Amino acid sequence: MEEEDQQKVADLIKELVIRLLSQNPNSESHPPTPNSPQFQSSLRYAFRLISSRLTPSVSPDAAAIAESTKRRLATQGKSSQALTFADLYTKFASKTGPGSVNNKWAVLYLLKIISEDRKNVKTQLGSLVLLPNLALNDGELGNESRVLLGKGNKEKGWNNGVLLVLKDPENLREIAFREFVNLIKEENEVSEEVLVRDVLYACQGIDGKYVKFDSGADGYVLSDVIKVPRAIRLMVRKLCELGWLFRKVKGYISESMDGFPSEDVGTVGQAFCAALQDELSDYYKLLAVLEAQSMNPIPLVSETASSGNYLSLRRLSVWFAEPMVKMRLMAVLVDKCRVLRGGAMAGAIHLHAQHGDPLVHEFMGRLLRRVCSPLFEMVRSWVLEGELEDVFAEFFVVGQPVKAESLWREGYLLHAGMLPSFISQSLAQRILRTGKSINFLRVCCEDRGWADAATEAAAAAGTSTRRWGLGYGETDALESLVDGAAKRVDKHLLDVIYNQYKFKEHCLAIKRYLLLGQGDFVQYLMDIVGPELSEPANTISSFQLAGLLETAVRASNAQYDDRDILDRLKVKMMPHGIGDRGWDVFSLEYDARVPLDTVFTESVMAKYLRIFNFLWKLRRVEHALIGAWKTMKPNCITSRSFMKLQHAVKLQLLSTLRRCQVLWDEMNHFVSNLQYYIMFEVLEVSWSNFLNEMEVAKDLDDLLAAHEKYLHSIVEKSLLGERSQTLYSSLFALFDLILKFRSHADRLSEGINELQARTLESSVPSRNKSKTKKRLNDTSEPGSWVSEGRKALTQRAGEFLRNMGQDLDALSKEYSSLLEDFISKLPMQQHVDLKFLLFRLDFTEFYSQLRPST
Amino acid sequence: MYVSLFFFLQLLNMDAVAAKTARESLDLAFQMSNILDTGLDRHTLSILIALCDLGLNPEALAAVVKELRTELVPLPPSDAAHAIP
Repeated sequence: MEEEDQQKVADLIKELVIRLLSQNPNSESHPPTPNSPQFQSSLRYAFRLISSRLTPSVSPDAAAIAESTKRRLATQGKSSQALTFADLYTKFASKTGPGSVNNKWAVLYLLKIISEDRKNVKTQLGSLVLLPNLALNDGELGNESRVLLGKGNKEKGWNNGVLLVLKDPENLREIAFREFVNLIKEENEVSEEVLVRDVLYACQGIDGKYVKFDSGADGYVLSDVIKVPRAIRLMVRKLCELGWLFRKVKGYISESMDGFPSEDVGTVGQAFCAALQDELSDYYKLLAVLEAQSMNPIPLVSETASSGNYLSLRRLSVWFAEPMVKMRLMAVLVDKCRVLRGGAMAGAIHLHAQHGDPLVHEFMGRLLRRVCSPLFEMVRSWVLEGELEDVFAEFFVVGQPVKAESLWREGYLLHAGMLPSFISQSLAQRILRTGKSINFLRVCCEDRGWADAATEAAAAAGTSTRRWGLGYGETDALESLVDGAAKRVDKHLLDVIYNQYKFKEHCLAIKRYLLLGQGDFVQYLMDIVGPELSEPANTISSFQLAGLLETAVRASNAQYDDRDILDRLKVKMMPHGIGDRGWDVFSLEYDARVPLDTVFTESVMAKYLRIFNFLWKLRRVEHALIGAWKTMKPNCITSRSFMKLQHAVKLQLLSTLRRCQVLWDEMNHFVSNLQYYIMFEVLEVSWSNFLNEMEVAKDLDDLLAAHEKYLHSIVEKSLLGERSQTLYSSLFALFDLILKFRSHADRLSEGINELQARTLESSVPSRNKSKTKKRLNDTSEPGSWVSEGRKALTQRAGEFLRNMGQDLDALSKEYSSLLEDFISKLPMQQHVDLKFLLFRLDFTEFYSQLRPST
Repeated sequence: MYVSLFFFLQLLNMDAVAAKTARESLDLAFQMSNILDTGLDRHTLSILIALCDLGLNPEALAAVVKELRTELVPLPPSDAAHAIP
């Protein structure tokens, strides 16, 4: 069988050689004979060729070869032929069974190689025939001399070239096209592989051989010296955008990292850089794979030159599509964040995360989780431990070194610029307050109990509160953590303030002493400091007053109060000018110490002081009126003792007394109603509201607000506010008038007493003589009545009474005009409670009827 | 119906069918050869197919075809001078 086959092969080869030789156009004249030496040598040559290569160099795959052949036809622009070929191949392949060709792939492969060989020969011929000048450069003929070449050309032109061209005009175009391709190839001084490699370098920020960074054009460009088609130049430029972006991102990272210890990049910035670095390392991996791939050829069946390297520029552009998107995003972020730090940076990145593209969204989410983790860690430690671990001032809570008393109000502030937009304003406020509460407890209250509250809060918020456990996108978890912590810490803080520091008791004490709620104490104080305060301000010693205050406390029910509270009550002398009386400068002061001075700040205490001054004055006026009453009670001045007076004088005395009484009554009506209004409608109502609000207050801010409101309502309602300034001044004029009245009334009653004494003396001269004398010596009246006779006495009394009557008339007129003024101004007040004061003062509509306008 | 008849016929004239298939295969190969512009005639092609079927390396065969043809193509004078003796 073997031998038979061998024989068959030999026969067939012989036949083949004969056929081939017989086709030879040169040897047509002498048909080959089996014995001719030419035939013998050809045959030997053929055998040698066949035996030299026994196995094919490609794997036998008929379909692949057919496919590649078809594609080649298609690329040569012969698409109809390609289709026909494909059709023929399918038919050919479907022939099976006996009689069909067994070794189909071999046949196809054979056809393909022969056709390619032939084409190469033709191209050679074509180039020689059509473009003789260009052919000078042809490598194969480069070593030939011009003369010889010329000869050869002629021969060839005669033999094939012209003939061929004439025969097939299609061919002409094809040859021209192929020539063009060759030209292009020559023009492309660099092959695509080299360009691909360069682009890959450029994408790592390294200058390649041909693609270099051009700072003028601000990008990687193919240098102009190299001749490549415009399309490729553009393509390279486009691909190198990635390199440009990479350079930018990389530059930012190294800049940040290099300057790290000296410049304050901040932890958020570092996290950002680290996240970018991670993304870049993914990118490096991709580049490494691509670079490895670029060395491999496309796994094609045929080994001929048609299969280029795996990576072409076009393939690269597909590979780069996704990294390009990411890199662009990163570059945009880097641009945005260059000047930003901390929370602001996170916020800026967050703005880019709102993206519909899932790729971008996911990428940004990953980035943000990294970037925000330091920020969330800060929030966590702030909320749970009150620690402000913010070396680089990145957190949206800023601490300031302040005194303990203003720690709550000014110690910590929200930095709006550092507040990332994914944390809402209200949440930020809560975060701020929680940490502030902890710090307040620690610094001002010296309390350690908050730690338990914080631990409890952490436990309640669940697993997400462990270190680094919070992340971007878990705003709900953050919120619940903050809420939990805030609730507990605030509750603890209020407990401490209420129970340990007795906030309520102190408020009550202030109300009782500063707002004169403790009546007996005020009365007693007024009694004993009154004489002292009538002296000029500069002669009064505050130590003496402090002693008097102490006495007043001991004498009144205030002595049963807590010692701690009483210790805080002090006398305060305000700075005084020339001519000020003690009344003008005296005031009480309450020393609320840390931590309550957070509530009772200096400005609050100043308000209390104003209220105190007002109330003190009111009390003084009331006290004065009562003192006047004491001396002019009808039973003090009995008409019995005036029996001996002249009728005219007696009448005058009675009418003056009556006028005085009426005026006093009017004043008393006014003052006691005002007093009532202030004490009950203002102080007690506000206090009751304040107590209610204190009950529902959830944190210190609520408490502060409630207290502020309490104080404000007192100030507004007692005419101390800005808007009631004119009213207040007329009220003070009224007070002054009343005090003036008091001195007049005193003088009147003194005069009357004098008169009484005189008349008594004249009737019972022996009685109390020395006493009367002594008193008479004290009187300020110029000249004494003692030496006068009875008539003179009567005359003096009449004059005195007339004077007093005139004074009283003037006072009364002034008073009624002032009061009318006051009452007319009262309805203009906005505050509804002041209306009640009006009703009360003008209950019988006595004053409104008097007024001509109404 | 038609298919079964076809098989029947195939069973009957095995040789006739085989011959027909061989002819058709050759036809198809020849057409492909023309499309690819190999310049082979029918006879040469049949010889080559036969050789391929016998398991010869197609690359070697292609080399033979190429070499024997180029040998016939007039070579540049220097080569021709060598070839003649």
